[in-house]
Amino acid sequence: MEKAIKRYFPLFIIPTLAAFLIGFIIPFIMGVWLSFCEFTTVQDATFVGFKNYLLAFADETFVHALGFTALFAVVSLVLINVLAFMLAMALTKKLAGTNIFRTIFFMPNLIGGIVLGYIWQLIFNGILSQFDLALNLNAKFGFWGTVILVCWQQIGYMMIIYIAGLQTIPTDVMEAANIDGASGRQRLFRVTLPMMMPSITICTFLSITNGFKLFDQNLSLTGGEPAHATEMLALNIFNTFYSRVGFEGVGQAKAVLFFLLVVGIGLLQLRLTRSKEVQQ
Amino acid sequence: MKMKRLLATGLAAMLMAGALAACGSTPASTGTASTPSTAAPASTGAAVGDGKVYYLNFKPEQDEQWQALAKAYTEETGVEVTVLTAASGQYETTLKSEIAKTEAPTLFQVNGPVGLASWKDYCYDLSSSQLYGELSSDEFALKDGDKVAGIAYVIETYGIIYNKGLLEKAGYTQDDIKNFEDLKKVAEDITARSGELGFSAFTSAGMDGSSDWRFKTHLANLPIYYEYKADGISSTDAIKGSYLDNYKAIWDLYINNSTTKPALLSTKTGDDAVAEFVTEQAVFYQNGTWAYNDIADLGDDNLGMLPIYIGAEGEEKQGLCTGTENYWCVNSKASEEDIQATLDFLYWCVTSEEGTTALCTDMGFVIPFKGNLPATNPLVNISNDYIADGYTPVSWNFTTMPSEQWKNDLGSALTGYAAGTSQWDGVVTAFVDGWAKEYAAVNG
Amino acid sequence: MSKTKKAGRAMGSVLLAILSIIYASPIFIILMNSFKKKTYINLEPFVFPTAKTWAGLENYQTGFDKYNFLSGVSTSVIITIGSVVAILLFCSMFAWYITRVHTRFTKFMYLLCVFSMVVPFQMVMFTLSKTADTLKLNTPFTIPIVYLGFGAGLAVFMFCGFIKGVPIEVEEAAMIDGCSPPRTFFSVVLPIMQPTYISVGILQTMWIWNDFLLPYLVLDQKRYRTIPMIIQMMKGSYGRVDMGAIMACLILAVIPVIVFYLFSQKYIIEGVAAGAVKG
Repeated sequence: MEKAIKRYFPLFIIPTLAAFLIGFIIPFIMGVWLSFCEFTTVQDATFVGFKNYLLAFADETFVHALGFTALFAVVSLVLINVLAFMLAMALTKKLAGTNIFRTIFFMPNLIGGIVLGYIWQLIFNGILSQFDLALNLNAKFGFWGTVILVCWQQIGYMMIIYIAGLQTIPTDVMEAANIDGASGRQRLFRVTLPMMMPSITICTFLSITNGFKLFDQNLSLTGGEPAHATEMLALNIFNTFYSRVGFEGVGQAKAVLFFLLVVGIGLLQLRLTRSKEVQQ
Repeated sequence: MKMKRLLATGLAAMLMAGALAACGSTPASTGTASTPSTAAPASTGAAVGDGKVYYLNFKPEQDEQWQALAKAYTEETGVEVTVLTAASGQYETTLKSEIAKTEAPTLFQVNGPVGLASWKDYCYDLSSSQLYGELSSDEFALKDGDKVAGIAYVIETYGIIYNKGLLEKAGYTQDDIKNFEDLKKVAEDITARSGELGFSAFTSAGMDGSSDWRFKTHLANLPIYYEYKADGISSTDAIKGSYLDNYKAIWDLYINNSTTKPALLSTKTGDDAVAEFVTEQAVFYQNGTWAYNDIADLGDDNLGMLPIYIGAEGEEKQGLCTGTENYWCVNSKASEEDIQATLDFLYWCVTSEEGTTALCTDMGFVIPFKGNLPATNPLVNISNDYIADGYTPVSWNFTTMPSEQWKNDLGSALTGYAAGTSQWDGVVTAFVDGWAKEYAAVNG
Repeated sequence: MSKTKKAGRAMGSVLLAILSIIYASPIFIILMNSFKKKTYINLEPFVFPTAKTWAGLENYQTGFDKYNFLSGVSTSVIITIGSVVAILLFCSMFAWYITRVHTRFTKFMYLLCVFSMVVPFQMVMFTLSKTADTLKLNTPFTIPIVYLGFGAGLAVFMFCGFIKGVPIEVEEAAMIDGCSPPRTFFSVVLPIMQPTYISVGILQTMWIWNDFLLPYLVLDQKRYRTIPMIIQMMKGSYGRVDMGAIMACLILAVIPVIVFYLFSQKYIIEGVAAGAVKG
């Protein structure tokens, strides 16, 4: 059978592979190469070694963005997952109106980051102006504003995954725990959570990588104001690239560092949570 | 077990990618090398016959007029002219992403010597163009050595536009305001009586991106102008900030005597300020000749302009701020046909009746070309009167500001100061230290 | 016992109801403001429009006339449909091939797809927009190729996960009966993969419809703008910020999404859950 399929290599493989080359492989390799170059266009690149990387680390805004993004990713990771898990628990209790609630909680997830950013900008500024404050004046407001926005957007999504996970827990396991006299707390920590580890792995993986990659929401809600204090990594890279002439190489070097960071964190996170999964 | 496999997968993927990057560099480089050779004939092939014009416009206020003019030109000559207007504050970003494309702008603009330094590789030498021959004075050419890299297309003037009727209602006329002290006295008096008068002194000094350039760039020109004048220089790699106290004084005056509480300025937009001025909620509005169309409803006779006084010595003879930061540059990397088409279009703009009418009347520009028409824009006439009366115009020195980044950082510092979340020191740091830092970063 | 339990359940429902109202309120606040005159929006965002501040449909009119919102809708629709169809068709074929054929090449391809899933867009944004521009992939009709390339990783990964669970015997039987591999794929494999098509399709639609940076950098801005691009351009564009038109366009951007969601909620929620389990 393999042989027969192999003959159709061009039909099955070529379209995706060609697009994959254009849309990912070539740009990726060129991107790595250009991070060691000084350039304004691809043609005039000259090799400069690690200079761009040194400049990237010498840039305070980049280092600040790194810390800010990390803090944001961790805080949003915890809040999103705890809240989503609680909602999922509540929505699997067969309460009246569950379907409507689920519909509403999931909805913000379908709205794009740019649109969300402007929706919340109006709301936050409306509230803050009552106290003579504004979102782009204080990095703290920008930080918590973005956290609230991202929670609003992503809780529903994670909740759906947790609900799916909760529904796969066999009822007999729960019943057995009940018969053994386990308290609600014990049932949660000894039975539910361990059984839920696969869902938790996925949700934490998604929320931490989303947190690190956040761009649209950051751009539209605060735009990095005040003075780059709420600028996250992705936006910092974009700004380095496109609003400063002569810094393209530095921008690309930052992008490579950003990529390594995201991959590293993703792997680390998978390793940590996968090790806690029970073999079923 | 599962974890191990996953880890192995990840590691393998990274190794593979590394190997691919290493051994893939040969095919990749031939790939990029072959790109120009295949793309070049294609693009010249497409350009057979007439060239095309693609203008990346800087001035959002005149977007509609440019679109109309482009359409008129296409109808008359059949040459395709596309105009894209960058969002305000986004010109540099848009230019950078557009110029890298195969269909790059054939016509763009730089804001003076600093902008030219970044873009000079893209500037076609205009010294032998007909357009250059139309310039009314050589001082409006932006030169890079002997090369004419850019040509100014509009001379503009800004100051404090005021509502004559309202100022009279408050009991003053323009003659009462001859220096910063007078301005301060009048503004503070209006603020004190604003409840009874029903209006404020200044429109909101909005620090939203659509309005903040009025302060981080235009207002900041004054301390720079006086410092350059005192030191007898025309640009610098390190500003001293000798007139920053004056900058603080005028900024304080603006934010404490406006329609809006200082803390709320950060979200105020350009539209808000226009609305306040047009609905007679404020007397003073810092802006320039380009803003005329927005405020024309108040009536031409009702509009006046004051110099921006900051309390520097000898300011009684200070006029309005007149200059240009708008230089047309033709993209030297465009195809020959496109360059020629662009030059033809520009020549038509500044010589034909339709072109000059559009520029001078519809857009309200004063153009530094022989074909300039008498102004219908009353703000332009006011600025001419100042010069005729012997006032010294303030030159536009903000074209020597080291970078866009510098302006943005200054803007953030001004916003923070206005809101009370940071001190004036922040503005001083952004202004003085930021200048040296940005100058070094940009000029290597 | 059962009485307190009942009361507890009622309490739970009430709490969730309150939470739902809070959750949905941002959309209503924007809706409310979209009917106000633009100067009043920033001043009193939480107040219902009054006779003085009522602007009727004027803001929507501006959105349509001045900001060309409808052309943005059609651009977004073309891009999303074209890209999702391309991704579903080609990636499922690709995934079937690399799962059923065991060579070093297919293994490598699979790993490369997994790898590409974690790469942030900023890593390739400059080089990708350059490549796409050189190849003239800057129109709504050609940009699906870029999406197919950049989105292939996740789609191929999810399809592979599904195909691995499909017993190979069915396909073998079909081939023994004389079906060619394409025929086998389209008449045997494709129908049983329907649920996976739905979940991949939904995840990709959510991404592409809302994507901002890729079309912003790749599309020919002079001619085409997607909905997120229009909304981003409205802030600061044309020297002014028309808050009224922004509110109207935000609502116009949200409405089709909500309508689509309400009609296909079941599939969306299943798709998300299934997509996650595969991951």
